[in-house]
Amino acid sequence: MTRIVLQVENLTKSYGSFTAVDDLSFAVHSGEIFGLLGPNGAGKTTTIRIMMDIFKADSGEVQVLGEHPAAVRARVGYLPEERGLYKDLKVMDALVYLGRLKGTDEATARRNATAWLERVELQDWGKHKVKDLSRGMQQKVQFVAGLVHDPELLILDEPFQGLDPVNVEMIKNLIRELQAAGKTIVLSAHQMNLVEELCDRIVLISRGKAVLYGLLADIKREFAPHAVRVKTGNGTSGDVTGIPGVREIRPTGEALLLELDGTTPQALLAELVRRGVDVQSFEVASVPLNDIFVQVVGQGNDVT
Amino acid sequence: MDKVWLIAWHEYKINVRRPGFIIMTLLIPLLGLVALLIGAFFGGQAGEALTNVFAGSNRTDAVVDMSERFTPLLPEYAERYRLFADEEEGLAAVQAETARRLIVIPADYVASGRIRVLTNEGSFSSLDIEDSGSLRGFFIDHLARDIPDAALRARLADPFRAQVVSLSGEEQSAGGALASALGFIVPYLLSILLIVTIFVSSGYLLRSVSEEKTSRVIEIVLSSVTAQQLLAGKVIGLGALGLTQVIVWVGSSFGLSGGIVALLGVAVPLFARPEVFVLAVVYYLLGFVVYAVLMGSVGALGADFHESQQLAGVFSMMASVPLMLAGVFFSNPNSGIIRFISWFPLTAPTAMMLRLPMTEVPVIDIVGSLATLLLTIPLIVWLGGKVFRLGLLMYGKRPKLLEIWRLLREA
Repeated sequence: MTRIVLQVENLTKSYGSFTAVDDLSFAVHSGEIFGLLGPNGAGKTTTIRIMMDIFKADSGEVQVLGEHPAAVRARVGYLPEERGLYKDLKVMDALVYLGRLKGTDEATARRNATAWLERVELQDWGKHKVKDLSRGMQQKVQFVAGLVHDPELLILDEPFQGLDPVNVEMIKNLIRELQAAGKTIVLSAHQMNLVEELCDRIVLISRGKAVLYGLLADIKREFAPHAVRVKTGNGTSGDVTGIPGVREIRPTGEALLLELDGTTPQALLAELVRRGVDVQSFEVASVPLNDIFVQVVGQGNDVT
Repeated sequence: MDKVWLIAWHEYKINVRRPGFIIMTLLIPLLGLVALLIGAFFGGQAGEALTNVFAGSNRTDAVVDMSERFTPLLPEYAERYRLFADEEEGLAAVQAETARRLIVIPADYVASGRIRVLTNEGSFSSLDIEDSGSLRGFFIDHLARDIPDAALRARLADPFRAQVVSLSGEEQSAGGALASALGFIVPYLLSILLIVTIFVSSGYLLRSVSEEKTSRVIEIVLSSVTAQQLLAGKVIGLGALGLTQVIVWVGSSFGLSGGIVALLGVAVPLFARPEVFVLAVVYYLLGFVVYAVLMGSVGALGADFHESQQLAGVFSMMASVPLMLAGVFFSNPNSGIIRFISWFPLTAPTAMMLRLPMTEVPVIDIVGSLATLLLTIPLIVWLGGKVFRLGLLMYGKRPKLLEIWRLLREA
């Protein structure tokens, strides 16, 4: 059974009459990349700050690595959304200081920082002042700052913000490497395509409540239209008309979208083969996470 | 606790190297040195000029004595004064510059007290004559020459030395006028030093806090240490920084003005009432903690350095309230208002440091003020840590008073 690394139970936090987090529960399993998603102001940052013991919850409980957040600061890495570095310090000095604040000794912090700087291709910048670095470079150094103390759990709040596509790719690969090395990662991001690529499970928060929670694949399946996308040799709908159980046929680009009603994709494929249709591609239609996000969050807004 | 020292050392190390700090620290001694050099240069020249003006090439005064009280001159004045038979002869000596001025004492001098002084020099000479202790001594000694009792003569020249005893039962401290003056001045300077340290350190605290806040590094830091640890580390590190600066200033001013004076100034009151000094140091340390924590946490509320400075100004004002009431301290150091500000934790350190050397402070006031301070410090550290944490994470806006209260209840 997978070990639970982060457990949030019935968490509630209000600012005056505004409830930022409302009875929120979810769990993060060991070794996974977990997406903490939601629109702006949904309560993600507040939840993360409670997880990091920066804020106190009104009620509910958070357990990080089986303990109270305050007890495991040294084992958790954090890249906040509102982030920066000591601009007048040298990159290496800033990294070593932040590592030492986490409880790592100076030599280890320096060794780790050197290795990570090399990994993000900033090995020549350790002796430069932070303010001399470009914004993208600073972003990468901030990412490294969360890793200098070699944490077991890494919380990344908008790690791709302000990065160019090359650096997005680099950070993406880094996150995968960290997962492969056995780290658990909580990722909060607005780039749904990246979340789809990286995350195993997600929780979608809207107005402080969890509106979607579980395996990303399951959620996508749940939201998937009952349809298949078929590309045929001649690209016309002539071959596929009149098949029982196909309610509507719509051209989408080079393919056709067949909405099913009363049949399964397997039965449809068998029927197409039986009819001798030149099937070049056949896939069960899915819906992008982005659309699910917009749909679910939009619904939430309509309710109130 | 390790993290507190780590933060303290980090803050000290990065700030002590700042060009701003180095310039500010060296500026005061440099200004002092420049002033001293200018003083030595122009002072030397001016002194020389004055000597020339007043003393001329010789220092003898011509005297024409028609009252016969001064004839013959007492032997001890024979070098500085010369008797002439009449005004004409005396004037001739002045014109020939063998005497710098002519003092004419008329026959009715004893009744009228009038004398005439004839000189080639400007109007400054009259000031010189009015204030001249030696000329006064010359007159008194000759007038009293018939009194056989040497002690009585000396008494006439220097009629009294007062020891003032207050009817409210307070006594001047032992050790004479110098000791009692220094016994007051040194602790007074210590309390001014406290206030200077507060201003200097709080300036660094404010800057450091608002830099971490505006550069957004604060959230990473707060995920590693508690707000209380961060605040405590900053208070210690930047307090040490402020102290370094003050020590350099004070040290250099002592060095410039002569170490002996400084040593005497500190040593005499210490030997007179060591308990005052010990208590002053205790109040200094407690006061420093109270104010540094207040400044740091209130400073965290500002959106930027400038705004934080304005907010913290309120507390700087409070620290200097006892200095503003210096008049009351002089007239009655045990009055109601003084006792009140001795107990009130925000004014207690400076108030008690001023009050202790002036009077025998009732033990109850010492115990009471120390107790309120010791009780207040954990409260301020606790509340300050909360305000600090909340303030730091509020970007770009300053919470209103009601909001702060609400946040404090919620935090």
